[in-house]
Formats: sequence, structure tokens, C-alpha cells
Amino acid sequence: MNGSQGSKLRLWSCAAIFGAAAAMHSGLASAGYNDGKVFLTGGVFTVDGAGGGGAVPWATITGYETRDGINGGIGYTYANLPALQLNVFGGAIGFYDRFELSYATHKLSLNLSNLDTVALVAEALGGLDLGTDPWNSTLQMDVYGAKLRLFGDAVYTSDSWIPQVAIGGLYKENKTGDLVRTLGANKAKDWEAYLAATKVFFPLSTLVNFTVRYTSANQIGLTGFGECSADGCTNDKEFRFEASVAHLLSKNTAIGFEYQQHGDNLDGKSVSLAGLPLEGLTGLLGNLLPGVEDALTQEKESDWMDVFFAYAPNKNLSFVIAYLMLGNISVAQDQNGFYMSMHATF
Amino acid sequence: MKLSKIGLSLVTGAALLAASAQPAFAGEQKTKPILGIPKSALDDFGGAAGVHAWVESLFYYIMLDNRISHIFREFGNVERQIALNTQLEQMVLGGAVEYQGASMSAAHADLGITMTQFNAVVEAAYNACERNNVPYKTCNHLIAALAPFTRVIVTR
Repeated sequence: MNGSQGSKLRLWSCAAIFGAAAAMHSGLASAGYNDGKVFLTGGVFTVDGAGGGGAVPWATITGYETRDGINGGIGYTYANLPALQLNVFGGAIGFYDRFELSYATHKLSLNLSNLDTVALVAEALGGLDLGTDPWNSTLQMDVYGAKLRLFGDAVYTSDSWIPQVAIGGLYKENKTGDLVRTLGANKAKDWEAYLAATKVFFPLSTLVNFTVRYTSANQIGLTGFGECSADGCTNDKEFRFEASVAHLLSKNTAIGFEYQQHGDNLDGKSVSLAGLPLEGLTGLLGNLLPGVEDALTQEKESDWMDVFFAYAPNKNLSFVIAYLMLGNISVAQDQNGFYMSMHATF
Repeated sequence: MKLSKIGLSLVTGAALLAASAQPAFAGEQKTKPILGIPKSALDDFGGAAGVHAWVESLFYYIMLDNRISHIFREFGNVERQIALNTQLEQMVLGGAVEYQGASMSAAHADLGITMTQFNAVVEAAYNACERNNVPYKTCNHLIAALAPFTRVIVTR
């Protein structure tokens, strides 16, 4: 008796869940999906996953939905720099041109001979765990993001100077904590917040975006957050400035540039061995390998800049090709190279 | 007594003056884009004939788009809509043309136009520019001049 009642109850709850799922599905299919936004006005796929340019998140909400529905897409980005290769894969969904959720996962392969040397030495010294590998090191990071449009319309308010303004938050989870700490960072996981303002100037066929980001990230978090030194560790967030300018050559083709201010947490820091700064050891190493002391001192972190070319053959696909000028990254100088990104929207 | 009569006539006179400053019909005003519209905008479009050809292309693309064609079909008399739009577009581009149609808010008040439908017309507008070989930059001056109407046209 009890048993049959229990199974009936389970049956009912099953039916209720199925019903709710079916209702949600049909609701999404009939009223939810929307792709009515004008070309490229949702932005493309940033390395943070959020809708925007290449590195700078914009105030526009991702996808081609208008205020009437939901849209989203997936993106893949590859950047090839002399000492590193970055692969980013992710996706974002825009809700009613008001709210956005995003995810991106990073894989950054380092080919730094000087860092390889450290790993070799560490292994020779008896297997210190630095998170590096003698021949290759890979940094990994997951980024979860949300963005809320506050006010304004980036596209149609051509008779007002008020831009579209949005706030956003990112939670960055660097999966390679050991390597991040070897490079002198304090934390592997942290959040950032940003405020973005975007406006299209039709008579100039140009989109302008300014973003202020509150963060303590080193190289957008790929080399962690904050810093550690002999005096202890800090993780002081600060406001950093970013900008994008995109000039539309036609309705589906744009050229432009971006700027992203970076911090100075790891400037001049020596690579540390399992929490011990390498200064003591470099003397010893210096006798074996002349010049290693300089090679293991991190350069001044450069601000990021890029020039880009974006093309959207249709509303379901866009390509971005860029030339990145990322300057000094960790112990490597002059990291300039090519960037390619694809964004598929549904 | 006399003084108050004079006062009254002054007030009515002022009211009449204010009324005459308004156009005689409930028409539409030129928009004021922040960066202005260049003086050459209408000529760049090919003048009155160019604008008329563009509006014809616009309606060609609108009527092909089943997201929006039914709205314009139900409204009826496409020839009249083309004629009025030709006046409106010339006016917002700075032409000395009298627009004889209803205001944008009055014309669209009961239609319940969505942003998706509005954007579909904008897509048709760009297609019409391409079809008529109107340069993208020239086309954007017209888009800038028409964009402020979004507020009154999109009501849903």
C-alpha cells in the first residue's frame, strides 16, 4: 500500500517535471528566440567571453537578440605570439538585450626557454613542484561572466550624447596555481568588475567604447592576481582604463584598434622557486649559465594594444583578424603577433 | 474694463501667434542628430530623384521580408507610403520639402511595432542603399537622421 502510493507520487512528480520542461521548451521556442539585432551591434567574442571587441568588453549585450528575446553564440580565439600561444573557447547568451551570461576557458602554452631552464634546474635539484615542465608549460584559466545593461541605446539615440552603459562582473579561476605563484602572483582565483559605455556615431560610421575595470589581474589573470614578495603578499585592486574604436567600412566589415591598461604587480620580480625568490639561487645559476639572472627577472608588464579587422558574412558568423601588440609578458619581451577569432551565433 | 479687454486680446493674439508657429497639420519635424547632417547629404543621395528611387527599393525589400511585409500590406496604398516617405527622407536630410503625412508617433501608435520589426526595416534600408549604389557613409547620414524616430515608432 505504502509502496504503491510512493511510486504514484514519484510518477506524479516525474510528470510534473516533464510538463514544466516541455512548457519551458515550447515557451523558449515560441517567444524566446530572437535574432533581430542589426549587424555586428552585439559585438563579437572577447577573451573574457563577454560580448565586446577582442580584449575589451562593451556595454552592448552579446548575441543578435533585441529586447524581444534570447540569443547567443560560441567563440574560438587563437593568438600566436613569439613565446606563447593562446587558445580561448567559450560561449555567451544574451537575454532580452538586457542581461548576458558568459563563459570562456583559456589555454596558454608557454615556450620560454628561460622558464624551461628553471624547470630543468628544479627537477635537477630534486623535484620542486613549480607547476612548470622542462619543455613546455601551460597556463589554464576559466572565466565566468555576467553583464547588465543599465541604460541608454548604443545604436539609435543619434540625437543624444548619452551612450549605452552596462556593468559587468567576471570570476576568473586560474587552474595552474603553482605556476602562477612561481611567477610571483598572490592569488590564482579572483573577481573583476567593469563599467562600459558604448556609442555608435552614424555620421562617422564609427563605434566608440570606453571601459573601466576594477581588478588586480596580471595579464588578465593568466599569470594570476596581485603579487608576493619578501615583504608579503598583496592583492590591491585598482581602476584600469580600456578603449575600443571600430570604424565600419560597410555594414558587415569593420577596422579598428583597442587599448587595455595593465598593472605592474609583477614588474621586475624574479621567478620564485616554490615560494623562495630565486635571487639567492641565481647567483649559483649565474655561474653555470651566464645571464640567467636577467633572464629570470620579469619585465615591466605592458599595456595591451591591437589593431583589428572584423567581418561578418552573415548574422550567424563573424571573423576577427588582429595584430596584437602585447609588449612584455612575464619574462618575455616584445610579444607581438597575430590573433584570429571566430564567433558563431545561433 | 477697457484695459482687461486689451489684455484679453493680447493673450489671444499671443496664443494665435504660437499656434501659427506650429505647422498647419500634425506633421513631423526634422530630427537633430548630435553630429549634424552635412549640407551635401541630399545631393549625395542623388537629390529628390535619388531619394525616391531609394524609397522604392526600400519598399521592395520590405515587401520581400515576411517579418514585416504584412504590416505595410495591411496599411495599404503602398504608392502613397512611398510618396510620403520620399518627402520625409528629403526633409530629414535637409531638403526644403514639405512632409504632408502624419507624425511618426501618430502613424505608428496603434501598430505595436517591436524592436525586431524596426531593425528589419533598417536592414531593408541598408539593402536599398546597396541596391541603389548609395555609399555606406551617405546611407549612414540618413540612418542618423531617422534613428531618433525609434522612440516613437517602437511601442512594444
